[in-house]
Amino acid sequence: MTTGARDSRAQGRDLRTKVLWISLICAASLVSGIVACGLGSFPSTPAQTLNALLQALGVRSGQPVDPALSVVVVDIRLARVALAWLTGAALATAGCVFQGVLRNPLADAFTLGVSGGAAFGASVAILTGVGSGLAGGALVDNLGGLSLGGLAGSAGLLPLFALAGALLALGAVLALGRAGGGPSGGMNRETLVLAGIVVSTFLSALISLLKSLDEESVSSIVFWIMGSFQGRGFEHVRLALPYMAVGLGLVLWRARELDLLALGEGQARLLGLNAGRSRLWLLIGASLLSGAAVAVSGVIGFVGLVVPHLLRLVVGAGHRTLLPASALLGGLLLLWSDVLARSILPGGAELPVGVVTALVGGPFFCLLLGKRFRGQA
Amino acid sequence: MARTNADSLPASITRLPVIGTHMRPNIEAVLAQRPDLVLQMAGRKEASLPVEALRKHGVRVAVFHAATFAELFSVIRRVGVLTGSTAQAEAMVRGLEARLAVIDARISATTGRPKALFEVRSPNMLAAGQSGLVDEIIRRAGGVNCVADAAKFSRLSEEEVIRLAPEAYLIQRGPMNPAPLPLNERPRLRAIPAAVSGKAWFVDEQKYSRPGPRNVDAVEELAALLHPEIKSPAKGRATTKHSKNKDKQ
Repeated sequence: MTTGARDSRAQGRDLRTKVLWISLICAASLVSGIVACGLGSFPSTPAQTLNALLQALGVRSGQPVDPALSVVVVDIRLARVALAWLTGAALATAGCVFQGVLRNPLADAFTLGVSGGAAFGASVAILTGVGSGLAGGALVDNLGGLSLGGLAGSAGLLPLFALAGALLALGAVLALGRAGGGPSGGMNRETLVLAGIVVSTFLSALISLLKSLDEESVSSIVFWIMGSFQGRGFEHVRLALPYMAVGLGLVLWRARELDLLALGEGQARLLGLNAGRSRLWLLIGASLLSGAAVAVSGVIGFVGLVVPHLLRLVVGAGHRTLLPASALLGGLLLLWSDVLARSILPGGAELPVGVVTALVGGPFFCLLLGKRFRGQA
Repeated sequence: MARTNADSLPASITRLPVIGTHMRPNIEAVLAQRPDLVLQMAGRKEASLPVEALRKHGVRVAVFHAATFAELFSVIRRVGVLTGSTAQAEAMVRGLEARLAVIDARISATTGRPKALFEVRSPNMLAAGQSGLVDEIIRRAGGVNCVADAAKFSRLSEEEVIRLAPEAYLIQRGPMNPAPLPLNERPRLRAIPAAVSGKAWFVDEQKYSRPGPRNVDAVEELAALLHPEIKSPAKGRATTKHSKNKDKQ
């Protein structure tokens, strides 16, 4: 480090703030995860909940656990806690990357058509009936020789259709962006955003077409698009985790380049960065993250938008801190959104979690914007 | 003289022209048939729009609502009057009432009223609530609907299904629930009493959820499933795990 003593002191203070924030969010995530396993319509005392969790970990405490409670606490609540946390982490990280790469504070998985592609894939799966149940099972059996069958498992083929849709949509956007990028073959970010909007709009028209072709599936498609963790379990965690891990690895590996890209393409080139290539890798990583998230949970908005904006205020804009912090806070936020979604209505009915994040995130985002404008004035 | 896309019973009506779907009938196709009478089942709010449109064009439209057997029988009688076949309608109602009376008598001799859950749609779960024909079918067949929601349908989480602990689990199969998984392939519901005892069955959506004479078949079928001790007059095909039917549970 070649900076002066005063600078290094300031950096030390900075680092301490960052570490403090990150450890705070980590601790809150852990505590929330355990507390959330005790909340829901099935009656359970904290002692019973802990007992069931410990038993699942293989710790024998002597007291027998009601099998129904064990299913509720471990297979339903814990699985949803894990899935919601992972999904939130993936969406927030992906949002952070999209905003950095496209240098657009409003960019997220919707902007590049990734969410639209996943929604279209899921709609096709629902319409053709391979989304769940017997048809899906039969198809999986037929594909037995391929690893696809094992991958889909009891989660049905719907998540795979959604993931394929997400990646195809991204491919289309990148191809369009490249075609529109001029003779050099490079992509510029305006072209990418435009291509994303074109692809999203086209896909949402296709979804409307599917809905009008089969009125019986409309409610299933609409519910899926609103995003929910209802009926999800560990099989969905297993399905999404590999894609999320690869995506997260990719974007963390390129986090430093994201800082340079955020300066603008010209600056990044001057600093010796191959802007086109690092942008491509970052976009692929972020799309894997959001595609896997959308595939298992449906379309959930605002997490990818609110979390990075909030964290830039407290840990700064450096992506090597911002990305992991976004993942942690995104996970925490979606975990609690899902607890609200599954416990706020009486009579055991559930709200789609996408509705909760939009209701919480919308006003919050307005506050953030207002604060930023006041800060600039 | 014409039908909607979804109507396929009795088989003889599939030869009739289709005028669109039950939610969005094609007004032009209806008018092209020059009908004297259009019958419509009251349902969701949008369903009244085509009624208004048809009435504006001077077509007689009769709208019916059947959420109980009493209402269903009254609908059959009124359709009989409107179509000039009062006697047949009366005979049909008498026959259906007699069959229900037989079941009533047999069920009243049994003890135990198993708590039943009727799944309308999955995996995004919708179950039959207290108002509607399904609730009465369950009651007449000697069961209790464990969903306390006063509405026709109730959205339930898996956790709530486990809390309700249904002793019998009915999964309807049809357009609303095209490819439901059998209960024994749903690991998170493995601890509910119905899964433990194996009292889980697929039933025909057309028979249970569409008002009509076949609802009486549904009562007979369900009574035999819930109370196998009664000598069953059921003509319906049960699709139990243990039955020899080819329907795979």
